[in-house]
Amino acid sequence: MAFLEAHNLHKTYRLSRNNHVRALRGVDVTVEAGEMVGIMGPSGCGKSTLMHILGLLHSPDLDTSPAPSLVIDDTDVTALDDRERTRMRAERMGFVFQSFNLVSTLTAAENVALPAEYAGRRKSDARAEAMDALRQVDLGEWAGHRPMELSGGQQQRVAIARALVNSPDLLLADEPTGNLDSESTGEVMALLHWFNREQGQTIVLVTHDTRVSEACSRVLTIRDGVIT
Amino acid sequence: MLRSLMRRKLRTTLTVLGITVGIWALMVMSAMANKLTALVDGGSTYFNDKILVSDATNPAFGFGYVPMPVGIVDEVGAVPGVAVAAPRVHFMLDPEDAGIGFSASDFVVAFTAGVDRGHETFRWEIAQGRETAAADEGRRVVMLGADLARKFGKAPGDRMLIRGTEFEVIGVLEPTLMFFDTTAVIPWSAGQEFLARDPAVLAEFGPEPPELTSMVIVYPEEGEDFHALIQAITAAHPGMRGVTSDDFDDQFGSTVAILNAIILSVALISIVVGGLSVINTMTMSVAERTREIGIKRAIGASRGVIMRELVVEAGLMGLIGGLVGLGLAGVVVYFANDAGQTSGTILFLMTPWIGALGVSFSTVLGAVAGALPAWNAARLDPVEALRFG
Repeated sequence: MAFLEAHNLHKTYRLSRNNHVRALRGVDVTVEAGEMVGIMGPSGCGKSTLMHILGLLHSPDLDTSPAPSLVIDDTDVTALDDRERTRMRAERMGFVFQSFNLVSTLTAAENVALPAEYAGRRKSDARAEAMDALRQVDLGEWAGHRPMELSGGQQQRVAIARALVNSPDLLLADEPTGNLDSESTGEVMALLHWFNREQGQTIVLVTHDTRVSEACSRVLTIRDGVIT
Repeated sequence: MLRSLMRRKLRTTLTVLGITVGIWALMVMSAMANKLTALVDGGSTYFNDKILVSDATNPAFGFGYVPMPVGIVDEVGAVPGVAVAAPRVHFMLDPEDAGIGFSASDFVVAFTAGVDRGHETFRWEIAQGRETAAADEGRRVVMLGADLARKFGKAPGDRMLIRGTEFEVIGVLEPTLMFFDTTAVIPWSAGQEFLARDPAVLAEFGPEPPELTSMVIVYPEEGEDFHALIQAITAAHPGMRGVTSDDFDDQFGSTVAILNAIILSVALISIVVGGLSVINTMTMSVAERTREIGIKRAIGASRGVIMRELVVEAGLMGLIGGLVGLGLAGVVVYFANDAGQTSGTILFLMTPWIGALGVSFSTVLGAVAGALPAWNAARLDPVEALRFG
């Protein structure tokens, strides 16, 4: 069985009584362990919605026929409650966002340590693991700096360190280079590529950028809520 | 946590200040209520073992007793059920004192030491010097209550004027938290000297008044029903009245209870205002940090973690406010009591219990007030929260 298998994923957002948006209309996705899969498509096609469902931030519509299924590493996650989904996010998933999403009042090391703390590690252990992760993205010397004191590229590398601090099974990246210049894009992609190639990190990323998708081992395209 | 609070320094400071004012008011008011309650409780306990018999035209407790020939003491003592009847002279230290004030008036009491023949259960502690003794009869010596000694700055060996007559201070009592704190105890003979030149006494008893007493302290025999004994005494002496601790409670207990309720209500209103300001601050704080909460939820923070973080933050504001409020209350109480010494008005009784309760209350108040905004924050949809701002 593949590492991640999703079948018949639908997602409808009810904006008002008569205004529904069908973001996903029956998506099937399979990701093998160690793959780096890119998801491309025009704006509003459902890429981010798919990422949110794969990342357990949202649930697919459950009232479809046949019923949706999302199995990650032999665990059917469609039936998990909020507490279990949260624990799974903390322990087995890493997230990288387009706009870095670091906590502005915390230092780089404190930001990176957060998922480790949420996964139940003691503060001192979490801090030590955060330092290791920061060194892996070559930012060990910037550990005590706040996000505002870092460049965009550096902030995204901190975000990658944060995503990887718990050695997750799956790294999800939503437009990880969307806010970066060419040079930083190159650095970030090189880093993601290195983690995928050298450490076998399974990565699913959403992107508009063909230079980014070219680095992926496989690319899926979504259009109007279905994979084409 | 502190860093989150310091992100909006002015807002945090104002919120903490709101709590500070509330807790300050609560503690100062509690200290005042505590003092009043201690006075009443002390008085009630003091009257537990005795009946105070005096002329029926007197007020029940405290002020301006009409003197009576001392022969009444033996007559009351002869009533069956009375173990000991002891005379006592009692008048205000300041003739102008109408007995209307926030705390106990200054009294002078005169009796011969040991006149109770061992029936008195109230025991005072001597802070300095010694207590009055039977051998002091005929001398002009005085033993001062703690507040009175502080008010006049007197210590054993000092001289003190009582209604124009010079007395030697021989002792000072430890605080009793009751009317003895504002009482000067003099020998029976000295009390007679004052009565003998009181214009009202001279008008009633002529230029050579007999030995007089203001009241008769009756110590009933063991197991005697106080109210039945009062009936027996008043039946034998129709012009007399007897009062007990029950009457004391009736006269002062309910008044002080109402006063305490008013005092604490004022303080509680301040607390509600402080609590509302915490809710306001935490609601704004949550609104500002919606995105941050979304980030934390996305990377694995449970709802419980988010709630705990915000509730602890609100509780911390409460704790800081409480500690500052306690400090301010301590300063106010110290200086107010210090200033009150000169007028004898010691209004506040601050105890560690009040402080601990105030700070704990303030911390819990902060946390409870922060709970609703925290609950709302914890239920935010992470994806929606991430789109915020």
